[in-house]
Amino acid sequence: MGLSVKGGRMKIKSQAALEFLTTYAWAFIVIAVTISTLYYFGIFDFSKYLPQKCIFPSQLKCLDFSLLPTEVRLKLVNNLGEDIQIQSISITNDATVPISCTADATPISWAHATQKDFTFTECSGGAYLPDERVELAVSMDYFAVNTPSHPIHKVNGKINGKVTT
Amino acid sequence: MAKSRLNGRCLLERAASSRASQASMEYLLVVALTFAIMVPTTYLFYNYSKESGQEITDAQATKIGRNIVDTSETIFYSGQGSKTVIELNVPDNIVAAQIIDGREFVLNISTTFGVSELVFFSAVNMTTDGSECSINRCAIPGLGNSGLKKVKIEAVDKNSVNISTV
Repeated sequence: MGLSVKGGRMKIKSQAALEFLTTYAWAFIVIAVTISTLYYFGIFDFSKYLPQKCIFPSQLKCLDFSLLPTEVRLKLVNNLGEDIQIQSISITNDATVPISCTADATPISWAHATQKDFTFTECSGGAYLPDERVELAVSMDYFAVNTPSHPIHKVNGKINGKVTT
Repeated sequence: MAKSRLNGRCLLERAASSRASQASMEYLLVVALTFAIMVPTTYLFYNYSKESGQEITDAQATKIGRNIVDTSETIFYSGQGSKTVIELNVPDNIVAAQIIDGREFVLNISTTFGVSELVFFSAVNMTTDGSECSINRCAIPGLGNSGLKKVKIEAVDKNSVNISTV
């Protein structure tokens, strides 16, 4: 008698445990599928909620930028107080195959307190795709025209924005 | 009699278990909701503060550079033998300072996207201790690390001002 009561209680317990596991296994699967779907549609990509920005040192301040499907445009102002000559300008990013663009022909003369537009054309690779959020690093080498030995200085900037369609 | 007592106990246990699972579920939901709010908020604020930090470093470095160049010009035009000591708070991201060709005061600042040079042009000839100079470049090692620095600027002769840390 006592044994059968014990056996019955054990049976109820194991049934409850199995029901619990079954219910929560389904719940787990539903949650996993939901989270995967949200991830797939980019809900968890919080970087898109950050403002679009172009960051350069204040001496060559970035005034504006645009990210077109195959083109990157940049407007900078020369706040150095000296005329400079740009020796090279390039753009890249952290992708496995970095972005590749054709930059403006150098050298470029740039008078102080003036603005200059830079255009990178034929951009490809580096996950540079319409409607995607990208982070690009711009690097520039220049020298001051009035310094006798023309020492080369490097300036790095960053563009964080969404490629327009 | 014994069977009905057993059934009653089972029902009571089940009701208690149901209450406990409801409490656990509510607890999990509250924790999940808290995480869902906290994680994106932390990420967004961290990124904002990182970018603001770079702008602050740039502003501090620009202030230091302009201060040194302006003081050098003032001391130079005050005449030979003039000198002053200025106190500067060098931020973390400044990695090197040098004078090039006697007219460019250069600060190298480290950012998340590489090392950039901030260049300040002087109307007067600047120099530093001879041991730190090679060809046309003179390093100022004392300004290449963070902290409060005292910089001595002295019109050593009628042609140049000497900049050194003390």
